[in-house]
Amino acid sequence: MTQELTGTQHPPGPQAHGALPEAPSVTMADMVEPVPDTFTHEKPRDPYWYKRAVFYEVLIRGFHDSSGDGTGDIRGLIGRLDYLQWLGIDCIWLLPIYESPLRDGGYDISNFTKILPEFGDLGDFVELIDEAHDRGIRVIADLVMNHTSDQHPWFQASRSDPDGPYGDFYVWSDTDEEYRDARIIFVDTETSNWSYDPVRGQYYWHRFFAHQPDLNYDNPAVQEAMLEVLRFWLDLGIDGFRLDAVPYLFEREGTNCENLSETHDYLKRVRTEVDRLYPDRVLLAEANQWPADVVEYFGDPATGGDECHMAFHFPVMPRIFMAVRREQRYPISEIMAQTPKIPDHAQWGIFLRNHDELTLEMVTDEERDYMYTEYAKDPRMKANIGIRRRLAPLLDNDRNQLELFTALLLSLPGSPVLYYGDEIGMGDNIYLGDRDGVRTPLQWTPDRNAGFSTCDPARLYLPVIMDPIYGYQAVNVEAQQNNPGSLLHWTRKMIEIRKRHPVFGHGTFVELPASNPSVLAFVREFGDDRVLCVNNLSRFPQPVELDLRRFEGSTPIECMGGVQFPPVGELPYLLTLPGHGFYWFLLPPAPEQRMAEPPERG
Amino acid sequence: MPSHDRLEELLATWLPRQRWFAGKGREITEVSFVADARLVAGDPGLRHAIVSVRQGPPGNPDAEHYYYQLLLGFRHELPGRLEYASIGLVDGMHIYDAAHDPDLTRSLLTGMAEGADVAALRFRTVPGQRIDTDLTSLASPAEQSNTSLVYGDAYICKLFRRLTPGVNPDLEISLALSRSGSKHIPELYGWIETVLDGESTTLAMLSEYLRTATDGWRLATTSVRDLYAEADLHAYEVGGDFAGEAERLGAATATVHRELAEAFGVTSISAADVHAMAGRMLTRLDEARAAIPDLNPYVDRIAAAFDDLGKHDGPLAVQRIHGDYHLGQVMRTEVGWVLLDFEGEPARPLAARRAPAHPLRDVAGMLRSFEYAVRYLLTGPAAALFADDPAHDQREYRSHEWADRNRDAFCAGYTDAGGPDPYAHDVLLRAFEFDKAVYEVMYEARNRPSWLHVPLGSLARLTG
Repeated sequence: MTQELTGTQHPPGPQAHGALPEAPSVTMADMVEPVPDTFTHEKPRDPYWYKRAVFYEVLIRGFHDSSGDGTGDIRGLIGRLDYLQWLGIDCIWLLPIYESPLRDGGYDISNFTKILPEFGDLGDFVELIDEAHDRGIRVIADLVMNHTSDQHPWFQASRSDPDGPYGDFYVWSDTDEEYRDARIIFVDTETSNWSYDPVRGQYYWHRFFAHQPDLNYDNPAVQEAMLEVLRFWLDLGIDGFRLDAVPYLFEREGTNCENLSETHDYLKRVRTEVDRLYPDRVLLAEANQWPADVVEYFGDPATGGDECHMAFHFPVMPRIFMAVRREQRYPISEIMAQTPKIPDHAQWGIFLRNHDELTLEMVTDEERDYMYTEYAKDPRMKANIGIRRRLAPLLDNDRNQLELFTALLLSLPGSPVLYYGDEIGMGDNIYLGDRDGVRTPLQWTPDRNAGFSTCDPARLYLPVIMDPIYGYQAVNVEAQQNNPGSLLHWTRKMIEIRKRHPVFGHGTFVELPASNPSVLAFVREFGDDRVLCVNNLSRFPQPVELDLRRFEGSTPIECMGGVQFPPVGELPYLLTLPGHGFYWFLLPPAPEQRMAEPPERG
Repeated sequence: MPSHDRLEELLATWLPRQRWFAGKGREITEVSFVADARLVAGDPGLRHAIVSVRQGPPGNPDAEHYYYQLLLGFRHELPGRLEYASIGLVDGMHIYDAAHDPDLTRSLLTGMAEGADVAALRFRTVPGQRIDTDLTSLASPAEQSNTSLVYGDAYICKLFRRLTPGVNPDLEISLALSRSGSKHIPELYGWIETVLDGESTTLAMLSEYLRTATDGWRLATTSVRDLYAEADLHAYEVGGDFAGEAERLGAATATVHRELAEAFGVTSISAADVHAMAGRMLTRLDEARAAIPDLNPYVDRIAAAFDDLGKHDGPLAVQRIHGDYHLGQVMRTEVGWVLLDFEGEPARPLAARRAPAHPLRDVAGMLRSFEYAVRYLLTGPAAALFADDPAHDQREYRSHEWADRNRDAFCAGYTDAGGPDPYAHDVLLRAFEFDKAVYEVMYEARNRPSWLHVPLGSLARLTG
C-alpha cells in the first residue's frame, strides 16, 4: 500500500526524459497522491532527482564565516548559495552538523537533534533549506547511524543506569571475548573493538574509536529512536542523508559483523518509512566495500531498489588516477566491467576527491588484487595511500589533467560529487596533518583571509593557503568568475552540458572498441539521447580508430561548441586527441533517409 | 557460371596483389580449381573455392604448389563500395572477393549455426554453443596472413587463406581449452572444414571478438613511450610501469600451459633428444655466424650455453605449447590477459608446429618480445626523434632497466601461478633465448638490416 504513494513502481521510461531536465517528468504525473510539499521551488517534485543531480560536498566550517569568529557557519553558507546556484550544482552534501565534542570531525555525535553551536541553530538550518530550495538546490547531510559520541546522553544514561530506559541502548558485555571475527578498522589507534567502562563495570562494543560506542540495534527502542531522528530532520525539510558506516549496525557471533542480513532488514525498514512520508528524499549509503557487495545496499532489484537510493562507488576514483598514470584504459575498463547492474531506481555516487583519503580498504580479496599489485609496485601511488590531498596538487596543477579528470567524473555512470574548492583548483596544506590539510577555508577573494572571514587572521580555524601556486591571491572564486578562461568557468560549462542531457544520469554505459589502449571511449545511451565520450589518458597526442558501426549514418556533434563532425560510416571512425584531451559528442539518430540538399548558400 | 579458364587467368594477376599471398615475387605459372561449392545462389551469388597455385616452370610436376581459399562473389552490377574488392569481369558478371560483402558473408554464420554440409564443406557449431546469425560482418583492416571477418561486435571469423592439409593447431587447441573452460583464450563458437589431399583440413574458425581488447605489443610500447619521456626516472618510478601487467601475463601463461598439459598430456624426451636439440641450435648458430660477422663477439658465450644444454642428463618433460609466443599474440581485455593464435611458427611444417616442447620455450619467446618492445621506439619509425640525442645512452640504460624489471615480473607471475621457475631452469631458458635471438639476427639481417642492432644489442647485454 505504501507503493502507491511512492511511485517507485513507475520506471522512468525514455519517454519521461526526452526533453530538458527541467521538463516535468511523466513519472510525477503518474503519482497517485500528492506528497508533502517539501521542495518549494517551482520545479515539479521528482522522486528520481538524485539520478541526474550534481552533488557538491560542503564543509560548513570552511565555506564562509558570517559571524567573524573565524569559523564557517550556516548563515555564511546561506549567503553564498547564489554562487552555488550560478555554478549549477543540484544538491549540497553537508558534513556532520550536529552537536559533538569533535573528537572525530563531528562523526562523534552527542546530540542528534541539535546543531553544533558554532555553526548556528535549527532556525538557521531551516532557513538554509528554504533558501536552497528557492534556488532549486537540495540539501543532504551526513548522519551516523552506527554509533554516538560517549558524551551522548544516551551513553551517559546507559553506563550509569544499566536497568534504566537506556541501559540496553549500547552493546555491553562482561567480557571482551565476543565477536572475535570482526576486524579492527582503526588498527593504528585501537587494539580491540571492546573497551572497559569503569562506571558500569562492563565492556562496550565500538567498531571505530573507543569514544564512539556502537548503538545496540537488537534493541527495538534503538531502532525506533533512530527512525525518530530521521523523521526530525526530514520534517525540517532536509532532502536526505548520507548514512555513515552502515555495514556495521548489527553484530552476530561467528561473522565479521559486516553487511549482515539484519542490517539490510533495518535499512529496508528505514527506506519504507522514508518512502511512506517523504517520497522525494534520498538515502546515500557509505559502504566502503567492493561494488559487488555495495550493490546489496540498493535492496531488491525487483522493486527497483528498496534500501538506499544511492551508494558510493569507491574503486572508480583510484582507478581513474591509475589509468591516467599508466596512460592506458584497463584500470577503468576493468572496474566498469566488474561493476554489477544496479536496480532501476538506484544510482552510484562517484567522486575524485572528498574529505577522506585514497584507500585500498576494499581490495583485500585475492581476485581483486589489481590495485594491490599496481599500487604496491608504484612508490608514488603508494605514498598517496592514507594521505589526503586535493585534486589539483595530486595532478601537479596541470590544467589539461584537471579537465580530463573532471570530464570523466561528469560522464562515467553515477552522480558526480564535487569537493568544495576543487572547482577553482584549490591546493592543500600537508603540514596541517592529513585530516585538516584539505579542509582549509574556501578562497573567495584575494582579500584578507581569502574573503572567507573578517576575523583576525590568527583566529581562523585553519590558516588559508598562502603558497605562490595555490595561495588565495592566485586561486580564488572572484578572480576566476571574472576570467572566462578559468577552471571555474570551464567546470560550470561542463556541469551545464551534463544537466542538459539526462543520459549522463540515466543512460547505459558501453565501452567501445578502440584501437589505442591509451584511449577510453564509451557511449552513454538513454532512448534517443546518446553521448559518445572519448578520453585520451596519455599526455601525448593520440589517434584512435573507433568501431561506431552501430551508429552508422549519425553525425556526431561536439558538445562544447556544437561543431558537426564527419558522419559515421562503415569504416573505423578516426579521431585525433591532444594530450589528456577528450571529446563529448552527441550522436543524433541517423536520418531515416537522406534529406534534400540544403538551399544554395549566398 | 563463368568458365574456370577465364577466372584462373584473372586470379593469376589478382592473387599476387593480396597481402595474404605468400609466394610474392615469383611468377605464377598455373592456377587451378581444386574445389568449388555454391554457397549462395542468385545475384549476388557466392561460391567457395580452393585453388592450387603453382609457381615454377610449367609442366614440372615437382614445382612447388600451394592451396588458397577464396570466397568469390558474383554480381551483374558491382556497387561502388565493393569496387576495391573486384577481381574482374567474366561473361558479363563481376567477380570479386566476397569477404568484403556483408550480404554474402552471413551465409558462413548461418552455415555454422545450422551445422550444414555443402559439397565437401562441413560447417560446425562447437557443442554447447549457439551462434547468433543476425550480424553484419566487416573485413578487419589489420594486416594479416589470413582474412578476419568481424561480425557485429560478437564474433571474429578467421578465414585461413593459404591452406595446409590437416587440422589447424589453433582450432585443435582452442577446442580442447574451450572444453576445459579456459578463461585465457577467446571463446570458440564454430569452424568450417573440408577434406584436402585426403586429410581433414580446417578452413575457418569462429571465436569470440574481444571488443575492448588491445594487444600486448601496443600496451608495452605505451609503457616504453612513457619511460623515454622521463629519462631521469627509473623504470619502477614512471607512471607507465608495465610490471603489474607483465606479472599477470606471466600468470596467465602458466595457467594456459597447465591447461594444455591437462588436455594433451605430458610426455618426455630423452637426454639424447636434448643433446640433439642442442646440436641443432649449434648448427643454426654456425650458419648465422657465417652470414653475419657482427655476431662473432657473442658466439663463444652462446655456444657455451648450448653446450650446457647438451650436457643435460635425464629426460625432459615436454607438452603442447603456444609455439610462437610474443606480445603480439596476447590481448589485454577488461578481465585480464587472453592468448591468441596457437598455430605455432607459421613457417614450420605442420607436424613440427604440433610437436610437444618445453614450456619455457614460450617464456623465452615472451622475454625476447620484451627486448623488442623496449627498443622499438629507438629503432622503429619514431627513431629519428631520438637520433643524436645526448640522452641516448641514458635511454639505452633505461631500456635495460625496463626489460629486466618486466622480465622479473613476468617470471615471478609465471612461477607463482604454478609454472616451472624460469630462473631455476636457467640453462634451458638461456638456450631457448639465445636460439631465438640467433634466429632474429638471421631474420633481421635478411629482411630489416636497420633492426639488426636489436637482437645484437640484447645479445651483448645477455652475454655480458
